[in-house]
Amino acid sequence: MKRALYITLNEVRLYLQDKGDLAFSLLLPIVTFALMYGAFGGDTLFTATARVVDLDGGARAARLIEEIDAVDGISVELLTAAEADAKLERSDIQLALFIPAGFTQTLEAGGDVTLLFKQRGNGGQEGQILASIIRGVAEEMSQEFQAVRQVAANLAGTGISSESIRFTVEDLLAEERAAPVVGVAEEVVGGSVDFIGMYLPGIITMYVLFALALSAQTIVEERRRGTLERLLTTRLSAGELFFGKFLATTARGFLQTLILLALAYAVFQLFTPLSFLQALVITLIFAAAAAAIGMIIAALARTQAAANWTGVVFTMFSVMLGGTFFEVAQGSVLASVGKLSINTYANEALRSVVIGGGSLGDNVTPLLVLAGVVIVGLAISRVFFRAVPGGK
Amino acid sequence: MAEAYLVVKDLYKSFHDNKAVNGISFTIAKGEIFGLLGPNGAGKTTTIRMLATVLPADSGEITIGGHSVRKEAGAVRSLIGVCPQELALYEDLSALENMVFFGRMAGLSGARAREQAMANLKMMGLSERAKGKVAKFSGGMKRRINLAIALMGEPKLLFLDEPTVGIDPQSRNNIYENIRGLQQNGMTILYTTHYMEEADRLCQRVAVMDGGQIISMDTPRNLKAQIGPPDQVTLEDVFLKLTGRSLRD
Repeated sequence: MKRALYITLNEVRLYLQDKGDLAFSLLLPIVTFALMYGAFGGDTLFTATARVVDLDGGARAARLIEEIDAVDGISVELLTAAEADAKLERSDIQLALFIPAGFTQTLEAGGDVTLLFKQRGNGGQEGQILASIIRGVAEEMSQEFQAVRQVAANLAGTGISSESIRFTVEDLLAEERAAPVVGVAEEVVGGSVDFIGMYLPGIITMYVLFALALSAQTIVEERRRGTLERLLTTRLSAGELFFGKFLATTARGFLQTLILLALAYAVFQLFTPLSFLQALVITLIFAAAAAAIGMIIAALARTQAAANWTGVVFTMFSVMLGGTFFEVAQGSVLASVGKLSINTYANEALRSVVIGGGSLGDNVTPLLVLAGVVIVGLAISRVFFRAVPGGK
Repeated sequence: MAEAYLVVKDLYKSFHDNKAVNGISFTIAKGEIFGLLGPNGAGKTTTIRMLATVLPADSGEITIGGHSVRKEAGAVRSLIGVCPQELALYEDLSALENMVFFGRMAGLSGARAREQAMANLKMMGLSERAKGKVAKFSGGMKRRINLAIALMGEPKLLFLDEPTVGIDPQSRNNIYENIRGLQQNGMTILYTTHYMEEADRLCQRVAVMDGGQIISMDTPRNLKAQIGPPDQVTLEDVFLKLTGRSLRD
């Protein structure tokens, strides 16, 4: 056992000596996390900037702009007509709202006004959503004017001032907006969407499998250097050599995922201290399972290329079948085939802990499967391992 | 004759239909340098692999220091050191790190491994490069490190498989001197080489292998005497007469 640990330490030393490999393996999880943060870390609400040209400059135009700006996720950028036309011409923007001259005066005089959208093509997806939101704001304003006009017409000759009518109607409409008669509620089917929680387990398990691809090369590399045969003439047994390599690969896979999990803990606050420790335990067992499979490939592969490609192909299939980046429908053929992938079990356990509020106790079956893979994988790899053809 | 330290009896090893080693027997006395010569594919390396416990024999018996290689491989490994034909080093590590690592594998404590490593590096004239990365060493220096590693754990029997291939005369001379020094300290050595002059200089006895069999075994002088006056013929003349002049690949 002591000699197995020396093998592990030697592997770690060689890993630290290779600066390129070291930087790549430690920086990659950080870069991946940064990408995840960029993709999912911000507000999930629709956000856009409404470019508005105010040719009116009056109070009603100012209020329209204010109400557009008050919509969640929408900000307003005021442009001159010339600026807006130039930007549209250069395709810098896809859509601009023009508030016509005389907008305030016409409205207050009881007339009708028309807002103008200038757009390139159909305004793009963002422009269409933005136009729809602005139409909603404009319609509210239009309804308010219509209500004031209707009430004023009905109360004509009662001596109630038009100012008083307008304030009363505006107050009533404000109350209606605060407590609408016909309200709209949202219900997300299948629980709330949590992109980090959904993708983090898959990314973690994918990283561990990178370590598998590396462990697959470890024996071939030792053989290529000539050190394999030399090691086996020392007191080191083949079992100790294998176990030492296995521990080193497990440690490497675990280290990378530890970085990812720690960043997720610190930045997204996905975990409680307990669930973080549980996620670490799951990751460690999964890293051991991946390393054990890597050792089978290492035992069978005779060349660096064979070890490399077998490791990569295995990793790809495991990631795809294991529901890493998409949910596999229960009862489907893919779900049945996916049971052959160790990622399926690791993803299930990690998702349970990260987003399902589950514990290790709730994941006994997947964890036992992974532990079984460790034991069987090491046993198989030892059976197939030969230092030299026909040798031990 | 001195006490036999290594005894090989009726050793066989085949790979599919190829009889790599075909019933060889020989002994090496304690403190002897024994040369195992032969053209490429003669079965020398397969023999060393079996002696070094890496490759199991199909049949036959090997004992080293009284221990059976088949039954007591662990005990045998504590008695042997192997300097393989190809360099077997971690080039990204320093000379000292390589030596200490293999010392630990040979069962030494950390302190003892460092102590032995420094002593062996000094013997090889490399103590000033102890902390240098092996990747930056010359071919001769790497060969010397390769040999120094085989000495970690103070083995009683050393297998040297062509330890001087491709190095300059200075490094080669350094290795010769060290091998003689090791023998004077009681080490038993099995030496394979393609340099006949080297075998003539170093070995007390040599065995010539071809086609997996030992076709002749004696002192270099007696072998030379078989074809002419020993002072006028070389071991290479004997070797070519025994193994023929056809090319071996």
